[in-house]
Amino acid sequence: MENGSGCLNGSGAADSAEKAQQQQQCPAVQLSERNREAVRVIGQYLRELGLARSAEALVLEAGCPLESGAAAQFRSSVLLGDWDGAEASLASLRRALWRESSWSEIAFRLAEQRYLELLESGAHIAALCVLRGKLTPLQLSPDRLHRLSGLIMCSGPEELRQLSGWSGAAGGTRQALLDSVEQFFPPSVMLPPKRLSVLLDQAVRAQVSRCRHHNTSLSPDQLTLLADHSCQAAASVPSVCSQVLDAHQDEVHVCQFSPNGRFLATGGRDCVAIVWLVEAAANPPGAPRVRHHLTLRIGEERGGVAWLAWSPDSRLLLACAAEEATEVIVWEAETGDCIKKLKHRDEDSLTTAAWLPDSNHFVVGGNRGHFYLCSVDVGFEKAWDFIRVVALATRREDDGGTAVLAADTFARIRRYRFDTMQDETLFREDGPVMSMSISQDETLLAVCVASAGVHLWDLRLRVCRRRLHGLTHGAYLLHASIGGPNQDFVASGSHDARVCVWHRGCQAGDGAQQHLLPDKLSGHGGLVSCVSWNPRHHGMLASASDDCTVRIWLPASLAAAAQAASADGTGPGGAGFSSNGCCSSTVSKHQPPPLL
Amino acid sequence: KSPGFNASYSMGRLHIEHMGGERVFSCANCDCPLTNRQQLISTRFTGATGRAFLFNRVVNLDTSELQDRVMLTGRHMVRDVSCRKCKTKLGWVYEFATEESQQYKEGKIILERALINESEGFPDPVKD
Repeated sequence: MENGSGCLNGSGAADSAEKAQQQQQCPAVQLSERNREAVRVIGQYLRELGLARSAEALVLEAGCPLESGAAAQFRSSVLLGDWDGAEASLASLRRALWRESSWSEIAFRLAEQRYLELLESGAHIAALCVLRGKLTPLQLSPDRLHRLSGLIMCSGPEELRQLSGWSGAAGGTRQALLDSVEQFFPPSVMLPPKRLSVLLDQAVRAQVSRCRHHNTSLSPDQLTLLADHSCQAAASVPSVCSQVLDAHQDEVHVCQFSPNGRFLATGGRDCVAIVWLVEAAANPPGAPRVRHHLTLRIGEERGGVAWLAWSPDSRLLLACAAEEATEVIVWEAETGDCIKKLKHRDEDSLTTAAWLPDSNHFVVGGNRGHFYLCSVDVGFEKAWDFIRVVALATRREDDGGTAVLAADTFARIRRYRFDTMQDETLFREDGPVMSMSISQDETLLAVCVASAGVHLWDLRLRVCRRRLHGLTHGAYLLHASIGGPNQDFVASGSHDARVCVWHRGCQAGDGAQQHLLPDKLSGHGGLVSCVSWNPRHHGMLASASDDCTVRIWLPASLAAAAQAASADGTGPGGAGFSSNGCCSSTVSKHQPPPLL
Repeated sequence: KSPGFNASYSMGRLHIEHMGGERVFSCANCDCPLTNRQQLISTRFTGATGRAFLFNRVVNLDTSELQDRVMLTGRHMVRDVSCRKCKTKLGWVYEFATEESQQYKEGKIILERALINESEGFPDPVKD
């Protein structure tokens, strides 16, 4: 029997006398139950660090020993190798066990350590005595007994250690034995091993799972304890508008960064596709700015640029026009030369497109039921009949071929292989699909569903991983984009003239609802239709809006540097950043904040 | 060039749905897809321009405010519907019928025959 408080009466008379003396020496500090536990845990921590004198001083002053007298006796006996003493202490602790049956297990482990140490030091006769006299009578699992008796044939300590997996008397095995025995006793008798370390680790992990913008690769034990962990939004999440690009004459409907992150293509109702260059300033490094490169016309009779697609090698740009578009145009981005004008039939309507990995073939389609595989060299190659295409993406498959992913007007997302003419429905959405965007590593698909938000699908498991809410719905097409170094960020346009940025949420167990609400970036004067993450400069986001401008958003720390380095007058407009849910104001870095 | 909030009648690119079907009905003015033959319930209705059809479900429509109308068949609460793309008025949708015998119309849409086109679609995909 033991009482719940940390002060357990010791088993020997000497102990209690000593204790009485101690209590007379120091003034009694009244400690609550929780405080006693805290002191015990701290004392254990100090002792584990090797600060034994501090631990003793703590025990003296607080007047509550770390563990019961018998347990302390047991511990010191084991660490010194006094096996008989250890057995005696164990006998007195026997009644404190959770379960009576574990006593034989502990006795076995104790004897096992003794046996192995004797073998290691070469005292085979003594070892054999232990085997016969201590281990066998316990009548525990015969396999273990058998294995132990087999070890007696080892020729030397090296072989013994190798065969048994035991690291030797000097290898911390005595401490390991103590750690393994602690679980059999209630905490009031013996503390669980490394209790304070475990508690601190749990706290840090909980903070990490609440971190809204978590994007660090540091493990929990590398994070500082001195402040609650929350990744600096300033370093990773775009929050400041660093540039407003106003070269367009009418609403901008599409914006796309090239796969190598060097170009930005934008297009809209003014029937013009503009190619911009992304320049990362050398000094200070990592502050990207965008500069006008080329203006490409698609002709006035079409309803404006509906879609822009970059070839995977970032060399070619493909433009689709709006509803009545019968023709798609391919330019070379660097020079602006028109490489191809592809037209198949007069009644075609080709409003969306995607490239295949060879940067020569591409697929085009529209909701009047035209779905073609074409190439830059040959032109029209193959048609797939009777599919009303809403959005397209491509994905490399395990057998080396490429699958075309198409969302259609029946809200199905299907997979088409133009080489084998096989098709398959991957999943079905529960509302009309507006657009679709695949992540750079081709594992995630962001589907914009009308009046429902952005749904993130895992393409390998074919399940919906997340439903992202918080954007404002309406009658117009919105596009989303997946970005960030680990595909952690999703951005989309919104009908309330703001850009929505979600962080996908870190590890599992983050039931916190706040992760699903986006950060909203204000600044545009009209509906934001399309957004695009820069695949190389991870915090850089472009947004296209009906206010005829394209805005470039950067994380606050980069934007400050970009502003300082800007030569021309396109300064940032008023930048607003409001985050939903509680935003932790403390920030953690790798080094602890300096002591004042 | 118009910076700031664009007040022209269409902003962004409209999200146009399509219901599929082998016979597709679309707006006669701008060819925006509306519905199909499978959704047709009855052809025995009359609108301002003459014949009108009753459909179960129609997409790409904008609705007006609720109106109280007395028709041949009784008093109804209706909303006018117009094509989402070109804003042409195409018919109305029944929201509430005061007479029990007319309640089957609630939620259904009337499109006037003269204001819509019928054209060839293609077979719907088999359910898989």
